[in-house]
Amino acid sequence: MQVLPGKRLSYALGIFVSLSLFSFVLLIFGYDPIPSLETLIMGPFGSVFNASETFVLMAPLLLSSLAFLVAFKGRFYNIGVEGQLYIGALSAYIASSVLGGFPSLIAVPIVAVAASIGGTLWLALPLFMRIKLQVNEVFATLIMNFIAIDIINWLTTGPIKDVNSVNPQTPFVPSTTWLAIVVPGTRFNLGVIIAILAAFVMYLIIHKTVLGYEIRASGLNPRAAQSGGVDNSRSILAVGLMSGSLAGLAGMVVINGANHLLAQNFSPGYGYQGIAVAALGDFHPVGALFASILYSALAVGGESMQRLPNGIPIELTYVLQVTIVLAVLLVQKWLSDRRRR
Amino acid sequence: MTDLITPILAASLPLSMPILFASVGEVYAERAGILNLGIEGIMGLSAFVSLWVTYSTGSYLYGLLAAIVAAGLMGLLYSYASVRIGTNQLITGLLIYTLSLGIADFSYRRLTSVSFPLIQPLPPISIPGLSDLPVVGPVLFHQNVMVYASLAVAIVMGAVLYRTTWGLKIRAVGENPEASDAAGINVNMVRQLCVLFGAMMAGVGGASLTLGYLGLYNSGGLLVAGRGWIALVVVIFSRWSPYRAVAGSWVFGLGYSIAATSIGSGLVAGAAQGTEYFLLMIPYVFALAFVFVFHRGTKPPSSLTVPYKRK
Repeated sequence: MQVLPGKRLSYALGIFVSLSLFSFVLLIFGYDPIPSLETLIMGPFGSVFNASETFVLMAPLLLSSLAFLVAFKGRFYNIGVEGQLYIGALSAYIASSVLGGFPSLIAVPIVAVAASIGGTLWLALPLFMRIKLQVNEVFATLIMNFIAIDIINWLTTGPIKDVNSVNPQTPFVPSTTWLAIVVPGTRFNLGVIIAILAAFVMYLIIHKTVLGYEIRASGLNPRAAQSGGVDNSRSILAVGLMSGSLAGLAGMVVINGANHLLAQNFSPGYGYQGIAVAALGDFHPVGALFASILYSALAVGGESMQRLPNGIPIELTYVLQVTIVLAVLLVQKWLSDRRRR
Repeated sequence: MTDLITPILAASLPLSMPILFASVGEVYAERAGILNLGIEGIMGLSAFVSLWVTYSTGSYLYGLLAAIVAAGLMGLLYSYASVRIGTNQLITGLLIYTLSLGIADFSYRRLTSVSFPLIQPLPPISIPGLSDLPVVGPVLFHQNVMVYASLAVAIVMGAVLYRTTWGLKIRAVGENPEASDAAGINVNMVRQLCVLFGAMMAGVGGASLTLGYLGLYNSGGLLVAGRGWIALVVVIFSRWSPYRAVAGSWVFGLGYSIAATSIGSGLVAGAAQGTEYFLLMIPYVFALAFVFVFHRGTKPPSSLTVPYKRK
């Protein structure tokens, strides 16, 4: 991936500006910025466990981000990754429960396929409406998030709730369907590897295949692409299928990788954060990989900050994450406009 | 069930009010060519700010004004990014959404460590004579001042958009920025003002949710519960007209009211665990149906989401 010097500058400037603002806010609210920042930045590296948690958090975030990114490349705004992730998680839960008697080597791949299909099915209606009837997908995908979440709310408090738990969640899925732990003693599991592999696969598909070329062409200028022989509907169908599958997989790596059960509101908004991560990674799969590591490292550091004696609520870290993305975007656009003049 | 009809209708107006305020504002932003996906978050932020200020000063007016200022600041940030710098409007709007909710929830967490803000929602005003009518009385003439104001604002802003030079300029900027520029209109200034106005109206919407209906805050996401997104759907459904936004918002207010009123009345208390979530789904199912049924044939302002740069 070619990183222009101006881009590198925009990242440095964006992060610097955001951290300065963050320290300023800390001062206003009466926190000591230096130890807080130290905890924020060193938190993710403080222990093997914390470092592994960064990657556990990264897996669904990166997959969500790729789901948005690939659709974005084809100019299809899938803002419904959050809902597709929930339905993917539900599919993974159902498949896991059914496949309990099978060995892992058979069960896990089938669960992954089920999650992908679940995620894709939740995108099918907006995708169909877009391709066949030219209905804009932004609001349909967005609104379907709320419906998906209410379905999960209903199931986890009612029909599939674990009756022995006070929390709105299901029982554990059979351990044969769990994604294998890669680093013993932590939650670092196969899901992390799957997510990183997915980033490279998406890089190859988007940047190194004819299909990817057509997708990018139709995303940049649908009309020109069509005159050049690209079937725009086919491109949108392709990105839609990939996007829904990736979103479903994001749900699966949480259920079968990190949590081993389906809980109400288990996603802290991976679907929406994925959009910010994609933007921070300059809409490049490898960029998204680095951006998702930064994002989850900040989240883990933020949790360490929250545990400090004078705990800083984690919400402020979420604000910092978005501020970084906004600042980088603004500086980047500003610099590129200046250069053009 | 039948004895619920009057309460459902009566609550439908206050529940449509936040959507109406926000969608009237968004009509202006979109008419000028800028889509603001951040209004869901801006509503959450202003809902919190209005509650906090009203709780600490005891004045609803101060609460409302503070909410407008907070929303306006987010609007300034968004208009600077989307109009001046010309960033991708969908991406930036979503970032504004996350940013606003983050700020609101952080501030709420800080505040609730010392106190739990709770206010009495604005009392309803009965219109003498009319409020005693059966059904129509409690539904239309026994509401709080912000409900009446939301309807008035929609009508006034409709008139401004269609009957004044200002409105004409705004519509021209959204339809054809090049020609408007050639005619001497400062395209990006009009856009910035419209985005600012849209954000401020989302702020009034958010404030109306806490001051005029709920009187509390828990988290921005749970509180606003999609009303901002739905306001954006209402804008499409109403074909970018403040007048039609009244009807559009009311349909969704009805959806929220059916859910809230039947849950509040204990209608589902005996039903299986989790049944209430089906009721809570109603407004979203409405919205989805709206998008699919009414989106076809609607034509957004030509330059919507396209930044304008002078050649």
